[in-house]
Amino acid sequence: MKIWGLVTITLRELSAKATLIVLAGISTLIILGIFLSLSSSQVEDGINLMFFGSSVGSPVSHESLHEIVHGIQATLTKGLFWGIVLFGVIATAGIIPSALEKGTVDLYLSKPIARWELLLGKYLGAVVLMLFNIVYFLGALWFVFGIKVGVWNSQFFLSSITLTFVFACLFSIVALLGVLFRGPAIPIIGTFLYLFVGNLLEQREQVLYLISENPMYQRILDGLYYILPQISAMEANIANQITQQGLDWRPFAQSILSAGMLFGGSVAIFSKRDF
Amino acid sequence: MHAILSESLSKTYRSGITGKQPIIALANFSVEVAPGQIFSLLGPNGAGKTTFVKILLSLTHPTSGRASILGRQLPDVKVRERIGYLPENHRYPGYLTGEQLLRSFGQLGGIHRSALRSRINPLMELVGVAQWRSMKVRKYSKGMMQRLGLAQALINDPELLFLDEPTDGVDPVGRKEIRDILLNLKAQGKTIFLNSHLLSEVELISDRVAILDKGTLLKIGTVDELTSVGPEYLIGIGADLTEGFLHEASALLLKLSYTSDSISAQLSSTEELNKLIDLLRKYGIEITSIVKKRSTLEDSFINLLKKEVVS
Repeated sequence: MKIWGLVTITLRELSAKATLIVLAGISTLIILGIFLSLSSSQVEDGINLMFFGSSVGSPVSHESLHEIVHGIQATLTKGLFWGIVLFGVIATAGIIPSALEKGTVDLYLSKPIARWELLLGKYLGAVVLMLFNIVYFLGALWFVFGIKVGVWNSQFFLSSITLTFVFACLFSIVALLGVLFRGPAIPIIGTFLYLFVGNLLEQREQVLYLISENPMYQRILDGLYYILPQISAMEANIANQITQQGLDWRPFAQSILSAGMLFGGSVAIFSKRDF
Repeated sequence: MHAILSESLSKTYRSGITGKQPIIALANFSVEVAPGQIFSLLGPNGAGKTTFVKILLSLTHPTSGRASILGRQLPDVKVRERIGYLPENHRYPGYLTGEQLLRSFGQLGGIHRSALRSRINPLMELVGVAQWRSMKVRKYSKGMMQRLGLAQALINDPELLFLDEPTDGVDPVGRKEIRDILLNLKAQGKTIFLNSHLLSEVELISDRVAILDKGTLLKIGTVDELTSVGPEYLIGIGADLTEGFLHEASALLLKLSYTSDSISAQLSSTEELNKLIDLLRKYGIEITSIVKKRSTLEDSFINLLKKEVVS
């Protein structure tokens, strides 16, 4: 109940921000655009997929149509992934530092709330808000593809959960930096830097191993890869999920452990701090 | 059971680049606050008053010593269900309305929704912000914010209330209203711990007062004990003093100074006071009044701090 109270306050705080209104507005425009432009028609030799009333290629079979739509959905989700990173992190990076501000943290901690509960409530608030946004966007698009083209790809809709999971892992970095530096700027910069480094670590064998053949250096890179959330690997997996090629659960399992560890670190630092 | 019990509580902050420069915020501070009292902690800026409250609320960790609230050893999360806190320089979420704020913080205080519904309206009425219940907090004036802050501190019907400068920014009428609320809470058996710079107000409502400076307890006692100026009395008289009276008073080693209508006497005991009264009666000098001399709490506070500086 207390954690839900914190989630509610966080949702109200985030809803008051313009960034999320912009995100919801952009999502609505994309949904409307696809709704108005996309259609399909049954012709003699298959199904015609149309954008703005014009056919996209020649008529295709029912199976091929599914493949094409799944591909479009995977591309859209990839775009959404970066939308979440950009808008989501920017919009939510301030909520933990703002809770730790003098005059605010006193109010929270004078209530029967443990420090870990305060942090968890704020964390969940950010994740729940992103879940709402992602479900709104992907749910509406899933519905549009269903009614306009007849492709009801449940994996596309379910990828909203996967995307939220990725955001939750990423937010563990935002939370740790927020507790450490008590301002939104470093969490934002740090998270983007991490995404860049994470991408390099994902391709360490092709890129970073070329810098040095020292086994210690390579072991450090491997260690970092397995300690930190594997955002790039999860992103690639979401596309596989939508195109129904199956999910590799390993990056998700490893990332949840990493996120838990980072969150635990945030709680440990927060618990020792004087206000 | 004490409402608050602190035993040799100390807090040292570290500053400087290496963190080796110690700043003593609180030094072996021991205090007991009985239930149902209004207890005030006074001291100049940086005396350690807020640090003490923050340690009690587990916002700050003590360097040494221990403390308990309502019989529960600190730190204790659960005991905070029974306390209310109005911090100095609070920052309430501006995007909430007054009513939403009380609901949200009530929920965080572990109060059930149905109980909250019946509690919010009377509380807003009590502190005088009912007419602004639907207004966003960011539009509240400083005084309105203090009143709302008091309502927030009272939302869980606490047994122990910590108030840090509760009348800051409130107009004189509002201050009187807040004072009355606090006295009413005391009458209900609540314990109130007050940090305030407004000594005249503290004097009006406090049962006990502690004066703190540089983290050290200088003096503790009732307002009477802190404001009495030694055993000095002002005795109103209805006739001139006679030679005989002055001679006998001098023989009794009474230290007196006098005017045509009063005697100022420094007496070491009530026995000496009685001797003086007997002497006045013996010489037929009418006594119109007897007043024990006292200073204001502000005077006592300033004198005590001056002595501290000199020593």
